Amino acid sequence: MSYEMWTEKYRPKTLDEIVDQEEIVSRLKSFVKAKNVPHCIFAGPPGTGKTTAALCLAHDLYGENYREYIMELNASDERGINVVRETVKTFARTKPMGEVTFKLLILDEADNMTDDAQQALRRTMERYTETARFILIANYSGKIIEPIQSRCAPFRFTYLPREAIIKRIKYICERENVEILDDGIEAILEISEGDLRRTVNILQTAASVGKPIDAEVVYSVVGRANPHDVREMMLSALNGDFISARNKLRELTQKYGLSGIDIIKQIHSEIFRLNIPDRWKVKLADIAGEIDYRLIQGASDEIQLSALLAKLVEAGYEIKKGL
Amino acid sequence: MSASIAYIPWTQKYRPRSLSEVIGNEEAKRKILEWIRSWDRGIPEKRALFIYGPPGIGKTVTVEALANDLNMELIESDASSYRTEEAVRRLAGRASQFGSIFGRKKLILFDELDGITGSADAGGLREITEVIKTTRVPIILIANDAFEPRFASLRNLCLLIEFKKPSKVEVARHLAKICAREGIDAEEAALKFIAERSGGDVRSAINDLQALAQGKSKLTYEDVSWLASRDRKEEIFNVLRMILYARDASAAKAAINMADVDLDMLLEWIYENIPYHIKNPHELAAAMDALSKADIYRGRIKETQDWSLIRYVIDLMTAGVASSWSRKSSGWVPFKFPERIKMASTSKEERDLLSEIGRRIGRKCHLSSSRAIKEVLPYLRIIFQNNPKMGKGIARWLDLNDEMIAYISGKE
Repeated sequence: MSYEMWTEKYRPKTLDEIVDQEEIVSRLKSFVKAKNVPHCIFAGPPGTGKTTAALCLAHDLYGENYREYIMELNASDERGINVVRETVKTFARTKPMGEVTFKLLILDEADNMTDDAQQALRRTMERYTETARFILIANYSGKIIEPIQSRCAPFRFTYLPREAIIKRIKYICERENVEILDDGIEAILEISEGDLRRTVNILQTAASVGKPIDAEVVYSVVGRANPHDVREMMLSALNGDFISARNKLRELTQKYGLSGIDIIKQIHSEIFRLNIPDRWKVKLADIAGEIDYRLIQGASDEIQLSALLAKLVEAGYEIKKGL
Repeated sequence: MSASIAYIPWTQKYRPRSLSEVIGNEEAKRKILEWIRSWDRGIPEKRALFIYGPPGIGKTVTVEALANDLNMELIESDASSYRTEEAVRRLAGRASQFGSIFGRKKLILFDELDGITGSADAGGLREITEVIKTTRVPIILIANDAFEPRFASLRNLCLLIEFKKPSKVEVARHLAKICAREGIDAEEAALKFIAERSGGDVRSAINDLQALAQGKSKLTYEDVSWLASRDRKEEIFNVLRMILYARDASAAKAAINMADVDLDMLLEWIYENIPYHIKNPHELAAAMDALSKADIYRGRIKETQDWSLIRYVIDLMTAGVASSWSRKSSGWVPFKFPERIKMASTSKEERDLLSEIGRRIGRKCHLSSSRAIKEVLPYLRIIFQNNPKMGKGIARWLDLNDEMIAYISGKE
């Protein structure tokens, strides 16, 4: 038996295999038919098939050996102006052999590129349009500079409908010989919030337990994957234990690789789920906003977040006093 | 052991009671003993002894232990008392002429003579000289440097005894005895390191030891070796104490100058230790707020490359932190080494490994390294726990090597 990540094993290989996002798929198919692709921006939330669509497009356009005609870059790993200048240019300026006269450059997480790099990219896109087409993938197209946006055909990806995800879960379970109960499916849907990658990762992890997947299995698996979550850290602080809250913060950054921005985002969404007076929720949101701003400005993650935790300690104390 | 240990300085707790417990300076001790015994045969040629040598090596302790061994009454004057002509006469004038009522012999000690200041203690030195000329009981003087010009006439009346720094081995052996009494299992290398660093100053070595080891059952070389990179005028513990427990804002600011330590490093120390000292929620929040603002100014320096902004970093991390709380000590709280520095140095390798794992997962799963670490790795860890065979299979497919597999499966 061979093992692999199910997200890859069940990633569609061709546009035909993509069962949802019909409108997007039909537009992409027309590109294939015309053997011409404009520069594109694929924008939308995580796990909605943006990268998959780009890879399928490449497959259908170039055939089985499509890898020879494309370059996949991840802007988060390889951002910066030099990558655009060197790697991208080198790739983009040569004409490919064969029927299709251009190569495809897939730039994932493009919204993480610096403005400088985007400016450089814009010029490269213009200059080598003959020999290379760009697909920019981003969560927010707003973070892509206007001159690039105006040169690209926009594609908006949305969360997959619930039924489509259920269908996918059942399909995978059947193929993998895994038994799943209805409440297990419900639990996965609830946690993965429309993110298909997350859905499949949770499903595979739940399957590794080796028993029928029910809600309990799902929750236990997810709970263990994020054992020291942000909420727990916040509760420690609200209960007055700053030191243990700080230790949890350290674990989040150290072991789970979360950035300060990741954590503040989660803190913000947790604030309104806390069982505290509304007045305090708003106050804490204001404080979180200030800290968020400081982090964006480049302040030190841990010290700023610790300052926030200390405010939570203070808030917890005041709330207990009934203020 | 209870959480808050009453603070008794170990320099006090383990102060030698007898000459035999004093470290080193055997020759000097022998001479002192000889001289004091000579008083039994009548007043000797030199009625006073002048002990000199660097701080923290046991000069005062030696005299106290001597008095204790010989059951003598010690009449002491140190820099904390005024030593005007009048005061000296009051203290030593009568005592130097008469024995005790109860037959205990007397010993007069003028400690910390370096501290006698011209104006406040006017005439004090001259009066001490006069007292020595006629004394009928032994007098001992102590100073760091006996050869200051103002001690010239005094010096001529005294038998000079030099105290030298004890060797590193002697200091380490002494520290080992303290550790044994405290129930601390200390590595020899750790103690030698502290001894070495103290440069023969036993007092500071013991202070360092207490700061590093109190409340622990083990003291390793690693625990102390971080001291290596810092050669400072004052120990960082003192600086921290001076900041956290500062008398006022200026005192907190002034503490910076005592530290030969990098400001970033000091900020880390303050950050680490704040919650162990400042417990009140309002004060804790205020102190962390001040520190977070210092951090903002640090960022602004980086951004603008204008180092003049450093003054605000200093203000906020010292005066800002100190003024946010009552500064009432709640007993001895040992200072902790900054966790962040420890993590940064010990886990650089770990972080590199982690991001390489992320890169490899990302390559297969079309993700950036950081997203792979956040979105895939946590599940992979669980798969490893649930089903090691499956975990390994997937890891191979992801091109992870043995070291990475060991890391993910938690068998490091």
